[in-house]
Amino acid sequence: MKRMQVGIESTTLANGLKVVIASDTTAPVVTVGVYYKIGFRLEPQGRSGFAHLFEHMMFQGSANAPKMQHIKLINSSGGVLNGSTSYDVTNYYEAVPSNALERVLWLEADRMRALKVDDENLKNQRDVVKEEVRVNVMNQPYGGFPWLDMPPVAFRNWANAHNFYGDFADLDAADLKDVQAFFKTYYVPNNAVLLVLGDVKAEEGIALAKKHFGDIPAGAPPPFADPSEPEQTEERCGNVEEKFGTLPAMAIGYVMPERRTADWCAMALLDQALHGGRAGRLHRELVLEKQIAVEADGGIDDIFGYNGPTQMTTRILHKPEYSSEATLAAFDAVIREVQQNSISADELEQLKVKWRSDYYATLEGGRGGYMPKYGLMHLLACFTLFDNEPQLVNTILDGFLAVTREEIHAAAKKYLRNEKRAIVFRTPVKASAKEAA
Amino acid sequence: MATRTVEVATGVPGLSAERAVTWPKRTKARLSNGLEVILAEAHSIPKFHGELFFRSGNAAVADRAPGLAEMTATVVRTGTAKRASRQIEEDLRRIGADLSSGAGADTSAISFAGLSEFAEPLLGLVNELAREAAFPEPEFERERRQKLEEVKLERTQPGFLASERLRKVLFGAHPYAQVSPSEAQVAAYKREDLQKVYRDAYTPENGLLLLVGDFDSQAMLQNVEKVFAAWTGKKPETKTAPAPAHPRGRRVYLVHVPGAVQTQILAGYHAITRKNPDWVKLGLTNSLYGGAFNSRLVMNIREDKGYTYSPRSGMHALRQHGYFSVSAAVRNDVVAASLTEIFYEMDKLRSLPVPEPELADAQNYLSGVFSMGLATQDGLLSQLSTVALNELPDDYLETYRAKVRAITPEELLATARKYLDSANMQIVVVGDRAQIESQAALFGELEVFDAQGKRIT
Repeated sequence: MKRMQVGIESTTLANGLKVVIASDTTAPVVTVGVYYKIGFRLEPQGRSGFAHLFEHMMFQGSANAPKMQHIKLINSSGGVLNGSTSYDVTNYYEAVPSNALERVLWLEADRMRALKVDDENLKNQRDVVKEEVRVNVMNQPYGGFPWLDMPPVAFRNWANAHNFYGDFADLDAADLKDVQAFFKTYYVPNNAVLLVLGDVKAEEGIALAKKHFGDIPAGAPPPFADPSEPEQTEERCGNVEEKFGTLPAMAIGYVMPERRTADWCAMALLDQALHGGRAGRLHRELVLEKQIAVEADGGIDDIFGYNGPTQMTTRILHKPEYSSEATLAAFDAVIREVQQNSISADELEQLKVKWRSDYYATLEGGRGGYMPKYGLMHLLACFTLFDNEPQLVNTILDGFLAVTREEIHAAAKKYLRNEKRAIVFRTPVKASAKEAA
Repeated sequence: MATRTVEVATGVPGLSAERAVTWPKRTKARLSNGLEVILAEAHSIPKFHGELFFRSGNAAVADRAPGLAEMTATVVRTGTAKRASRQIEEDLRRIGADLSSGAGADTSAISFAGLSEFAEPLLGLVNELAREAAFPEPEFERERRQKLEEVKLERTQPGFLASERLRKVLFGAHPYAQVSPSEAQVAAYKREDLQKVYRDAYTPENGLLLLVGDFDSQAMLQNVEKVFAAWTGKKPETKTAPAPAHPRGRRVYLVHVPGAVQTQILAGYHAITRKNPDWVKLGLTNSLYGGAFNSRLVMNIREDKGYTYSPRSGMHALRQHGYFSVSAAVRNDVVAASLTEIFYEMDKLRSLPVPEPELADAQNYLSGVFSMGLATQDGLLSQLSTVALNELPDDYLETYRAKVRAITPEELLATARKYLDSANMQIVVVGDRAQIESQAALFGELEVFDAQGKRIT
């Protein structure tokens, strides 16, 4: 078995900014990321959707690079850029020909130092974000299902349970004061990590990081609200209307154990046993064998990228001739089977090989086919911000490859319990086309 | 109508010397059975990616039924003479591999990726799927029922409804007009139809095998010869459908989705295939117009006006014909305003030469992004397949950047005049008729359809 090792250098600047470099001269391309340890979980109450709206504002101008200049300077260097907001982190990233590295670092440092935005920028991006929500959620069949539908049903702490894309009234209420306060609180170097991957020498990357980021003043350590959940002791259920699609849908989510524990590793492999594509037990039973469902997939979303309560979630679209009860009963039968018999030694072996193969793909993997090393960047950033241990990229596999059948069996019995789950039904407003005809 | 004045950045570091872009050596071979093989090494991770293409897709069999090649590819993976469906899926997992099969308008393909240490069993399975697919009756029936649900579902997706209508408008009676079958057409699929497509199209003479990844090319080629040598089969006869008529004059096609809270705009017109010498020039024109974040259209209707989240233009190269299109999902009350800007930016590119600095920026963008294909195994695979399937010159990857950099403002102006044919653009809007019809009708004679594709008055 050939194990892959990523060469990593890391340091922390005097202002608290963490810097991680992973050199690889295969292609004359360098990927740069800046991750801030703030996501939508901890955005202010009454300002749902703000962390994401704020991410948009980071492209609207900084002290020396006014509006449109970030995008123009990256594209015209031959590169691509984007940002994204998730539960516990927000990222900004670029992939450019390596001769543009210093320019990219200058731009990222400029917007970490000082945001320069006005009311017109805010109004503009508020409009853009509303169209983003419409195109991804409100005007799509099963839009936001289940990632936006599940949290309010499953969780009790506002941090985990609110609308992460934002209620439009909250987006409208956000003003420039909110933008600057959020920036000042969370966008400080001591709450961030800079990643430089690809065609760069470690010493060069660190020197450039010091040159451009070194004089940004540290801020007060950001306050972090507690995202923990009270112990769940009963099954929770909710209903949401489906406006466009005609198939009934449901999502079932089980609370995950704490990350980086042996139980967490066992659940990750159990997740693959249940959801791993066409060989996964749920797809096989519900779609291929019993043919109740049209889709049965899901799993643990971004397993390395969260740092608070989360779930393993199954998403099912089923045929209208089967009731929700019948569909759920078929799902429960699959869960019961692993609780009674665990999985076979052969299946576990298959899952481990697939896990290793998928992990390598993650490390290399682009995002949408255009961002080399996105996956490696994401893992290094999360292991640095959550664990202060970027080298976990090279060792985290061990825990998964050591999982036993007995641990899978125990995890199935301990975590896949009805009182640990939440179910959301997404029910079509329209009858299916066949019934309507 | 112009966007507001753009301030410039101050103190921006210049670019350092460019490092040479070196594309990996390609090893090419043709096996004695006619199978074309292209290999390239990329040692970024201990895996490899592959794709076995057949140069026949849905268009080649559209006279029998739309989507028949896609349905054939779907059922191919569900059983062979030696392995049942479940066995195939478990064997893939056992070697850490992913595999999918599908068909576009011009090709059918089995795509796969796996650990290098298990290259031989993965190639063995691919060979089995290409030669000995069994089309088990129950699997066929299940996949057909599954397909029925998929075609129902796609009729609720605005993006699908828009592209389906545009293809019908642009291609009329040509097979490229069909992007998806109807429910009735799926219900009429027969197992024998699929088997005939399979027998005719899945042959080594019709095939192209591409492999990119962590292997030694010579050893891999021997492996390929060993695995695929015994396979035989002729190239199928190809029929070329008559060229589609080019509609004249702007027309508007409204697909009515009651209750839509946004409008999907898609406008397009005939353009060129990848083999056309103007392709690179049109690529640069496109990235100036709406093909990049920093493009004129994105800056205008997103960053200046906030009408939309994701405006984009692009070129679509099918083997026989290509087309250009621009899309944006916009707020219902700015459908007319968005179309006005879409045509304003198009007409501006047709009227005035692009200033030199803006041209240089776009040239840098296009040549930089092109080289990113080098950095990942699947990125490289996709570049190599584009070259091979479109029969582009062997040095296409090596010479592309120089070609981009040589383009002049005058050439761009000529390209925009020729292919951004704004006077003849066919406009599709998908949304709630009551909210958008009068706005859309400002841009041409308007017809209304329902989501099932039926014309309504």
